[in-house]
Amino acid sequence: MKNIVEIKNFKMQFGNKTVIKDLSFDVKAGEIFGLLGSNGSGKTTTLRALLGFYQPTKGELLINGKKYDPEDTSITIGYLPEERGLYKKETVLDNMVYFGELKGLKDPKDWSMKYLKRVKLEDKATEKLEKLSGGQQQKVQLGVTIMGDPKLLILDEPTKGFDPINRRLLMEIIEEAHEKGAAIIMITHYMDEVEKLCDRAILLKDGVAHAYGTIAEIKKQHKNKSLEQIFIDVYGGEDE
Amino acid sequence: MNNPLWTVTKFEFIRQIKKPSFWATIILIPLLVIAMMTISVLVSSNNTSTPTIDENTKVAITDEAKVFPAGFPMVVDYTEEEGKQKVVDGEVDLYFYIPADFAENKKVGFYHISEGLEIFNMDGQAIKGILNQAVASRFSDLDVTALTGNFEVTDNKLTTTGEDSNALGKAIIPFLFLVLFFFLITLFGGRMLMTVVEEKENRISEMILTSVSTKHLIVGKILSMMLLGLIQIATLIIPVIVALIIYKDNEMVSGIISSIEFDPAAIITNLLLFVFSSFLATGLLTYIGTITPTAKDASQFIGPVIIGVVFPLYFMSAFMATEPTGFVYFLTFFPLTAPTAMMLRSAFGTLTTPELLIGLIEIAVLSVIVIKATIRSFQKNAINFGLSFPKLKLRK
Repeated sequence: MKNIVEIKNFKMQFGNKTVIKDLSFDVKAGEIFGLLGSNGSGKTTTLRALLGFYQPTKGELLINGKKYDPEDTSITIGYLPEERGLYKKETVLDNMVYFGELKGLKDPKDWSMKYLKRVKLEDKATEKLEKLSGGQQQKVQLGVTIMGDPKLLILDEPTKGFDPINRRLLMEIIEEAHEKGAAIIMITHYMDEVEKLCDRAILLKDGVAHAYGTIAEIKKQHKNKSLEQIFIDVYGGEDE
Repeated sequence: MNNPLWTVTKFEFIRQIKKPSFWATIILIPLLVIAMMTISVLVSSNNTSTPTIDENTKVAITDEAKVFPAGFPMVVDYTEEEGKQKVVDGEVDLYFYIPADFAENKKVGFYHISEGLEIFNMDGQAIKGILNQAVASRFSDLDVTALTGNFEVTDNKLTTTGEDSNALGKAIIPFLFLVLFFFLITLFGGRMLMTVVEEKENRISEMILTSVSTKHLIVGKILSMMLLGLIQIATLIIPVIVALIIYKDNEMVSGIISSIEFDPAAIITNLLLFVFSSFLATGLLTYIGTITPTAKDASQFIGPVIIGVVFPLYFMSAFMATEPTGFVYFLTFFPLTAPTAMMLRSAFGTLTTPELLIGLIEIAVLSVIVIKATIRSFQKNAINFGLSFPKLKLRK
C-alpha cells in the first residue's frame, strides 16, 4: 500500500532541548495510525513539523512524497490541532461555511447543516460559537476538520474531554471518514480507542520510537498485554 | 473551487462590517467632520475683516477707465504686466488694474504677493475694502462713487518669482489624500493588527493554515481592510461634498471650490502615494500582530507606529519652507515617516519629480518587503503563543 506520510530520521531541537532524537515511520493510505506517547513525548511536535509549523532540525517529513504545502491541491488534509479554536464571535454556521469555502465545498452551508444535525447541534447553527459549551465547540471543530472528505486526517486528541456518549458519536464519525478512504493519524490517550480504531501505531519515548507496528505486533512485543497496560509499563515511571 | 484569497477577503470584510464599533466610527467620524467644518465656517465668517493698510503700504493703481481724478497719487501708468512685475520686485505691495472697459465689464484685477498658504481666498468685498481703504487713507474726503458700485475683483496671488500662486488650491488634493491616509491607518491599522492577533489568541492559526496558505490569509486580510477603508473614506467624503453643495453660495466655500486645482498628474501621484503608503503602514501593523501573542500585547505597539507615521506633522513649518532642509530630506526617505513627509511636500509643492519617483519606489518596495515578512512571520509564529519580538536580545 502507498505511503501517504513518510517521516525519515526526524530530529527536533528547541534551543538546547532535544524533543525528538531520531524518528522514522510511515503512514499508509487508508489506514488509521496511532501516534502514542506520554505528555511531552513529542507527538504534537511531530505533527506540527509534518505540517510545516516547525522547521525540523534534521530529517524529512513528507506528505504524498512532498513537503506539505497548503496550496498543493493534489491532497486534501483535515487537521484537528491540540490548540484548537474557531472565530468565537461568529456564528457556528458562518465558521463552518467559511472553512467549507476554503476547502472547496460546493455547498458548504448544506454540508454544515447536515453535519450539525448529525451531532445534534442544528439548533445552535445561528448562535455565536462562544455561546456553545467546550464539548459542543469541539464537535464543530471536528466537523470543520472532516469537511470535503480529506485524504489525510490528522487528529490531535479528538475525543479529549467528551462524555462516553459523545465520544462514541465522534468515533463513529471518524470511522465513517475512514470508510470514505481517509488515512488517519490520531493522537490519543484513550487506549481503547487505539485498540478499536487503529491499524498500526507508534509509541514515542525519549525522542525515539519505543514500539512501532500493527497493534497485534506491539502487543506481541509486550507479552500480549493490553495497550493500556503496555502504556503504564512504558511510561509509568515518568513524571507526567 | 472558490478562490481562497476572495474567500478570506469576503469573510474578513463581512465580519468587520457586522461589528457595531465599525458603524459607530462610520457615523461618528463624518459627523465630527461636518461639525469641524461648520465651526471653521462660523469662525472664519466672524474673523473676516478688511486687511489694514497703513501709510507705508505701497499701493499702485493702473486706471485705464479714468475712475480716479487726474493726478491722484496712487494712480500709475504701468501696463498690467509692468504692475505685476513691480509687485514681484517688491516695489509695490498691492496693485490694482482697472481696465479701460471697466464701465461695461465691471472687473478689476488685484495683484499681491502670496503670504503662503492662506486658508481662504480673499473675497471680492474684502478687496474692495482694501481699495477703498487705500483711497481713503490718502484722501479722506474723496468719494470714488465707481468703487462702491457693483463690480468683480479678481484676486491674483503671486509668488516672489512672478508665478501665479494658488498654494491652497494646489494643496487641497494632496492634503485630502493625506487626511484619508491618516484615517485609514488610525481607524483600520489597529483593527488589522487585532485581526491577526485574534488568529493566535483564539488558537485558530493551526486550523486555518491547513485550510488556506499564509499568503492568501494575510493578503486577504489586508485587502478586506482596504475595502473597509474605502467605505470609511466614502462616508467621509460624501458628507463633505453634500456640505459643499449646501454651502456653495457661501463666499468662503465658493472660494475654496473655485481655487481647487484638479491637476491629473498631482491626483495620480498622490493616489499612488496613498495606496503604497497604506500598504506599508497596514503591512507594518500586521507584522506586529504576527509577533505578539495577544491583543493586549499588540495594542501597546499601535501608538508608537502611528506616532512615527504622523511625526513629520510636528515639523510642518519646516515642510512649508520653499527650500527643504536636510532634516526634511531625512524624513522624506526614512521608511516610517516617508509616506507623510512625501505627501506634505507634495502638498506644499516642494517635491521634485526625481524625489517623487525615488520615494514611490522606496515605499512600494518596502511595502512588498513588509508584507512578505509578515507572511513569513505569521507562518513562523502561528503557533508561538509567546512574544516573538526580539525583546530579550535588545535588553542584552
